[in-house]
Amino acid sequence: MVQADAVALPVSAAAIVSELLRLGISHVINVPDTHQRTVLSELARQSQINVITACTEDEAIAINAGLYVGGQRPFLSIQQVGLLAAMNNVKGISMDARIPTCMLVGYFGRDVSRPARENAARAVSLIEPTLDTWGVPYFALESPADLGAIERAYRRSLVDLGPTVILVGAPTAP
Amino acid sequence: MRRQEAIGALVAQRGNALTITTEQAIGAWRAAVPEPANEIPDHLDIVGCMGSASTIGLGLALARPERTVIVVDGDGSLLMQLGSLVTIAGAAPPNLFHFVFENGVYETSGSQPLPAEGRFNLRQMAAAAGYARTEEFDDAATFSAALADLLKSRGPVFVAIRTMAEDGHKVRSSAGTRLDVQMHALRERLVG
Repeated sequence: MVQADAVALPVSAAAIVSELLRLGISHVINVPDTHQRTVLSELARQSQINVITACTEDEAIAINAGLYVGGQRPFLSIQQVGLLAAMNNVKGISMDARIPTCMLVGYFGRDVSRPARENAARAVSLIEPTLDTWGVPYFALESPADLGAIERAYRRSLVDLGPTVILVGAPTAP
Repeated sequence: MRRQEAIGALVAQRGNALTITTEQAIGAWRAAVPEPANEIPDHLDIVGCMGSASTIGLGLALARPERTVIVVDGDGSLLMQLGSLVTIAGAAPPNLFHFVFENGVYETSGSQPLPAEGRFNLRQMAAAAGYARTEEFDDAATFSAALADLLKSRGPVFVAIRTMAEDGHKVRSSAGTRLDVQMHALRERLVG
């Protein structure tokens, strides 16, 4: 159920996967994110996009690099605390080696009635300031109206040859 | 065996494989090939993301199933991302060959011993994770003689190579590495 005062609304998993298909994504590398549970279920129901599950987000970023160098169009699905855990590879691979790394990042534990920066949980409130500090472009997916953020973030990663993040504000819907 | 002996065998028998080295293997590989650093064809030297050589290799292997991918890793590096054994086994690329030099120390930082050195077994871990084949060598001649057969196996293959600790901390063998140059040059060669 959606809270009446929510500032972040669920986005349909089917719509997200449809966007990935439209962008020609070849692989989604994921470390399962509670927030994106329905996206992972939707991906499991189709066969055009290869799904790879990694044990850590560091590994996911490295696999993404190998796939990109080999000519594929990979994409990541992870959780925000995993992004924090993988910042060494964001620097060492996505930034230093200039590898397009587009990440759909769930805001696990977010109070959706408040903007992320105003959440009591540091795991939520510190994400945008961290990305600002590192200079990583990020795009909000706060409602179905923001679906275009996926394409903007993906294309930005290809142009910049670096990391971009799409912050999934609320748990995705079926 | 000495690291250079194992590298010599890999360079001699690599065929048209895509090759990846990391940490102390970087200098040894550079010494065994004629090209200068950052210009070795179909090759990456992985620095700045310790533990990621094998998963970059996994991505390459999945992207280019028609090519053999050889990763030359180190024991300290692998321990940085030990879960990668399970990730690789899960993806099960038949063309990935993961060689791990085990010298028991963090050589680059001054040869400090690994935690629990001598009490763990990486080959057994790889086998338990689900690699299709695992082997272990501590003799250069035996390794060189077995390599051709190993590289014909269905992967993922894990090969532990016991090497003696050397003095790599005195020379930064990866100095001058430009991973961005190498990555984009390889992509250009593979994709055009």
